[in-house]
Amino acid sequence: MDALLSGQLLVAALVTGALYALTALGLNLVYGTMRLLNVAHGDLVMIGAYVAFWAFTLLALSPLLGLVAAAALAALFGLALYHGLFRRLLAGGKAAQRLEANSLLLFFGVSVIVQNLMALQFTATPRGYQYLDTVYRWGNAAITGNRVAAFAVAVILCGGVLAFLRFHVTGLAIKALIQRRDAAAIVGVNVERVQQLALCLGFASAAVAGALVSMTEQISPFMGFPFTIAAFVVIILGGLGNITGGIAAGLLLGVLETYGVALTSSAYRSILVYGVFVLILLLRPQGLLGGRRIVR
Amino acid sequence: MAGDYHVGVGLSLLMYVALTQSWTVLSGMTGYVSLGHVVFYGLGAYVAVLLWGEAPLAAIVPLAALAAFAFAALIGLPALRVRGPYFVILTFGLAELAKYVVIVVEGWLGKFSRVIFGAPDIETLYYIMFGLAAAATLMTFLVRRSRFGRGLLALRENEEAAETVGVPTVRFKLLAYALSALVPGAVGSVMVLRQTYFEPAQIFDPVVSFTIVTMAVVGGSEDMKGPLLGAAGFVLLSELLWANAPQLYMVLLGLLLIVFVLFAPQGLSGLLPARRKTP
Repeated sequence: MDALLSGQLLVAALVTGALYALTALGLNLVYGTMRLLNVAHGDLVMIGAYVAFWAFTLLALSPLLGLVAAAALAALFGLALYHGLFRRLLAGGKAAQRLEANSLLLFFGVSVIVQNLMALQFTATPRGYQYLDTVYRWGNAAITGNRVAAFAVAVILCGGVLAFLRFHVTGLAIKALIQRRDAAAIVGVNVERVQQLALCLGFASAAVAGALVSMTEQISPFMGFPFTIAAFVVIILGGLGNITGGIAAGLLLGVLETYGVALTSSAYRSILVYGVFVLILLLRPQGLLGGRRIVR
Repeated sequence: MAGDYHVGVGLSLLMYVALTQSWTVLSGMTGYVSLGHVVFYGLGAYVAVLLWGEAPLAAIVPLAALAAFAFAALIGLPALRVRGPYFVILTFGLAELAKYVVIVVEGWLGKFSRVIFGAPDIETLYYIMFGLAAAATLMTFLVRRSRFGRGLLALRENEEAAETVGVPTVRFKLLAYALSALVPGAVGSVMVLRQTYFEPAQIFDPVVSFTIVTMAVVGGSEDMKGPLLGAAGFVLLSELLWANAPQLYMVLLGLLLIVFVLFAPQGLSGLLPARRKTP
């Protein structure tokens, strides 16, 4: 019981939650603006992690700088996918539901390709490096420097994106597109450009989350999958397309997972995450925080 | 009979024919795409492992099928209320959840993998699998021609409209889901006896679900031919590549999926010159 009340678990929960919030933010932007279900989202986390890893081991570049490269690369990949695959699909004028199902199959294909190309290139062996691993203590909580850094960067970026969406005119255009796509076009939003921007921003934030994850965990070509699932749990919990709700839900999932595992054992981690995922979809697909009824 | 290698390839071909044909009864006919069909396969395998030595083979295979049927009927009612892409990710989540539950249950029982002693020889299993593939193909054929099948197609196009003209959509969807689970349950029981060991993470492999969907998309799920073409093409490809370059095989799988979704949504079967339909 003492362990549950200590600061240690709370710190762990907050770090995990902040990373989930940042990852899910990107998924939410892509889904919200274009109704594309990106099941390859976790693979962008993986790509970001590899970029930071190679920048650190080959160029001795701090992952906190490497994450800029990761973000740029992921944004370029997003642009390439947009022009190669999705512009045709989005312009097709088919029913929205068909678009979502097709985008899911396409991203599934992308995910399988990316994972296996990475495994071919870099082998499936997990890799890791040591950075900022001195331990800091506050009261009874101990935390490594890299976790503090990951938490800080994730919080700053989530805050930055929220502020951008609230105060910048382009950010407002993204929000307009999320709320009413057709109406946004009528009031003069350049739908095409804003979509591309949202996709780049979404991909980049996942890659940054990956660079942060690489500081604290081992990385492998198949590490992305749990992040895809976590990101879907988070955006469904928070309400699809609801950016602020998603950030709150990310922290909530971090707390649920950390305390759930502490109360039971790590064997139950996957059951817990998938259990929440299935229950939310079955019972409250519009999300805990309300919002539009999209599913039924 | 031919060498064991050829029997092995034939077995995996028949397995995917049976699985993909069954899948189209739900996903081809109703548009509810299941990305978690491995859950029925895995459940059938688990039933077979638990019953092996307690019951004869002739009872195990039908019991595995029934278990999968019952499980689908049970979870179908809540699951089928969720539509479109949410149903897709839900089925995927359910299959993964089932996998981790079985892993934990096996942990409680103190078994982390089980070896099956005295499994039937491969030829017996081959003939059973042949029967299952034929049964699944016959089932899609019959469903497609029946009043039930027409109802499913109607609800795929527009569920509310189908309901309005008197299609009992809830009952039909549920029956299609349960029917599509029947043969995969039996297939799972045969395949675990072929492998002679049971390890949950390897039996409930999401790659199986993914392969089924890819075969159906590439082959086409609008008629009986599609799954046959898809299964034959990919089993051949996998024999050429799997042993030497499994990752290359997966990359090709992904590429073909993308190409067919974008450019040929009707699949290979839709690209073939259509026979004139008699009115």
